[in-house]
Amino acid sequence: MKNRRWAMLPVWFILMTAFPAAAAEHATAHPDLGPSMPLWSCLPFAGMLLSIALMPLLLPRFWHHHFGKVSAFWAASLAVPFLLVYRGNALYEIVHILLADYLPFIILLWSLYTVSGGILLSGRLSGTPLVNTLMLVIGTALASWMGTTGAAMLLIRPFLRANHHRKQRTFMVVFFIFLVANIGGALTPLGDPPLFLGFLHGVSFFWTFQIMPHMLLAAGLLLVTYFLLDSYFYRREKPADPSAGEGQAALRIEGIHNFLFLAGIVAAVLFSGVAKLGVIDFFGVHRGVQDYFRDLLLIIMGLLSMVTTPIETRERNEFTWFPIIEVGLLFIGIFITMIPCLLILKAGSQGALAFLMDTVRKPCHYFWITGLLSSFLDNAPTYLTFFNTAIGSFAAGLPEPEAVAIMMGDKAAYLKAISTGAVFFGACTYIGNAPNFMVRSIAEEAGTPMPSFFGYILKYSLVFLVPCFALVSLLFF
Amino acid sequence: MAKSGKKVLIFGDTMKFESILFHTRLREAAFESLQAVLPLKPAGLRRIVLVYVIRREEVAFVPYAGFDKKEAERQRAAAEERFAHWAEVVAKSGIDCTWRVELGETNPILIKIAEEEAVDLIVTGRKSRTGFDRVYVGSHILDMVRRSPLPLLMAKYTAPYQLEDGQVETRINSRPFVRPMLATDWSPPSERGLEALIALGPAVEKALVVHVLGRNVTKNADADAIAALEKESRKRLDSACVRLAEAGIQAEALLSSGHAAAEIVHLARVHEASLIVMGRTGKDWFQEYWLGGVSHRVAETAERPVLVIP
Repeated sequence: MKNRRWAMLPVWFILMTAFPAAAAEHATAHPDLGPSMPLWSCLPFAGMLLSIALMPLLLPRFWHHHFGKVSAFWAASLAVPFLLVYRGNALYEIVHILLADYLPFIILLWSLYTVSGGILLSGRLSGTPLVNTLMLVIGTALASWMGTTGAAMLLIRPFLRANHHRKQRTFMVVFFIFLVANIGGALTPLGDPPLFLGFLHGVSFFWTFQIMPHMLLAAGLLLVTYFLLDSYFYRREKPADPSAGEGQAALRIEGIHNFLFLAGIVAAVLFSGVAKLGVIDFFGVHRGVQDYFRDLLLIIMGLLSMVTTPIETRERNEFTWFPIIEVGLLFIGIFITMIPCLLILKAGSQGALAFLMDTVRKPCHYFWITGLLSSFLDNAPTYLTFFNTAIGSFAAGLPEPEAVAIMMGDKAAYLKAISTGAVFFGACTYIGNAPNFMVRSIAEEAGTPMPSFFGYILKYSLVFLVPCFALVSLLFF
Repeated sequence: MAKSGKKVLIFGDTMKFESILFHTRLREAAFESLQAVLPLKPAGLRRIVLVYVIRREEVAFVPYAGFDKKEAERQRAAAEERFAHWAEVVAKSGIDCTWRVELGETNPILIKIAEEEAVDLIVTGRKSRTGFDRVYVGSHILDMVRRSPLPLLMAKYTAPYQLEDGQVETRINSRPFVRPMLATDWSPPSERGLEALIALGPAVEKALVVHVLGRNVTKNADADAIAALEKESRKRLDSACVRLAEAGIQAEALLSSGHAAAEIVHLARVHEASLIVMGRTGKDWFQEYWLGGVSHRVAETAERPVLVIP
């Protein structure tokens, strides 16, 4: 029986090579499909994002058991007619987005998730306003380097344990989502998936440091607000100090060697951003050698973490593969269905979404529209959509490296607006960014009541985030 | 027992099955599976701890939603209702019955509860086989085989299996202890397996003791060496049967050769064994999992219940 496991390898090899091989035939002179694609070809993309937005609310059990099938359905509903009509060119586009965007994206997420999941912060802190605020500061700072998912998974359980004795805990988790699971990830491509997608398309690694003022303002405002709120509730509750009890273990970190692997991940991504080792034409898809090297290094870092971290450490961390599998399955559907939308946007005034270019003209427009859509439609595809909208507006028809150079240079204000909009507004709803729902799940499992989908928006996002973002928009855009 | 309350198996300690942890996923034939262990009462069984684990992946991390509290509560209520009924029925046999319903990952929770409740044996079911299971079989059970600090019984109340002529049959393992077969490789865990057979005592009608001369041993040996091996093996098998007889258990010795795991399963089938008892093969994780240690291969492929002794 074990032999059959290995016998599957040739089958996978054939599938993985025959499919791209056919695409390679059309790679050398693939036409720009954007001007000819109809607007209704974006319907599967809209369907995919609306499924993510609505099905968890309306059909949670169905969604939990069949989300993979829903993703496959939407992917097929685009891919089949796309291939029938555009044949080899369509095949090339599908292979391109999977190899150049999806695979690096999921490899990075997986490696950060795996390595972070091997770090266990055990023992107990006492959840006072100062300690809690400090934890949020640390989480916000870590998020840009270990990813918002990694930082959130590392700190949420210690955060909940530290505040287990507190009555009012809901707002604490919400602010945790705001800061650690979203805004904190604004500084590097490692921090948040939208920024990594930008990096894959040529935005340089340190360019996002330019939005540090925006991030510091938003994070600073929210941290001060949090401290004041927590202080208010703390005085009202007058909780007993849990550290006075017996059996309170000292704070310690297990799996600390995983920080080395984290450094390896940072180094690998940085390396791929600066090195130019040549280009490989892999079945028609041109990618830098350094990009393959990066992906390989990321996989190695994740595997090293798995091998060197005791399973008991991961179990005490309540580590599970399920969230990353979910993200993997859903994002295949997102990336494939997104193809027509991106092609149309890149075509600029010649595409079916030309009206969008006319509507969205100023940086503040990009900030708000990227943001509002990121709130409800997951921020990664939204970022890519408006990234291409901007390219379509300002650099239509140019090769991507040149177009992105313009966006980082002369039109930097627009790219900053899109980046901050996508990252910040991901905090506005549970569906804006993947770690939001993971944090919610962990908090609810631990007995912390969390607001409903609309409760979160009405009581928290509108009250705390929107005014904060309005100030960011006023001052910077 | 260690000072911490954690039960550890120490070579030479008398093995007993006074308290067992019975893990169930409440699938079909779950209660019948529980009833199949009640014949351990004459062997000293006093207490059963029923355990149901709400698997985190079934209720947590609903994509972009969060935690399915309703489903967690539904499963908890359903499990507690069933367990309350089971406990009533089991109590009529004079056996105490308590239960635990927990949420999380199955294996660490089972090990944790086993330590907290100081049980002697962990009983768990077996994942239903599908076409894919033949390629990648139940990792939860495999992991438990590897990690359990206590004897682990894979109950397998109903087990479909394929005969050599290709026909599929379903075996009902309702009386697992009447005719156990110890597959020994003379290792310390196998020695503890013999002690486990003795501990099963009054529940056993007849025992079989088997040793398989592996291919890697006989492959390059000449006839004299093989004859010497066989003689030594028979001597040890007879010694084991004498020990069982002294404990009041009629026993028969069997010596065979071939691929160990396949031969053990074959012998169990031919000699109508009701249970396969074996020591956990002491290989490392990589060998045990990817290359297939004998104990986990037997656990994977046998349609009989398997009792693995660490």
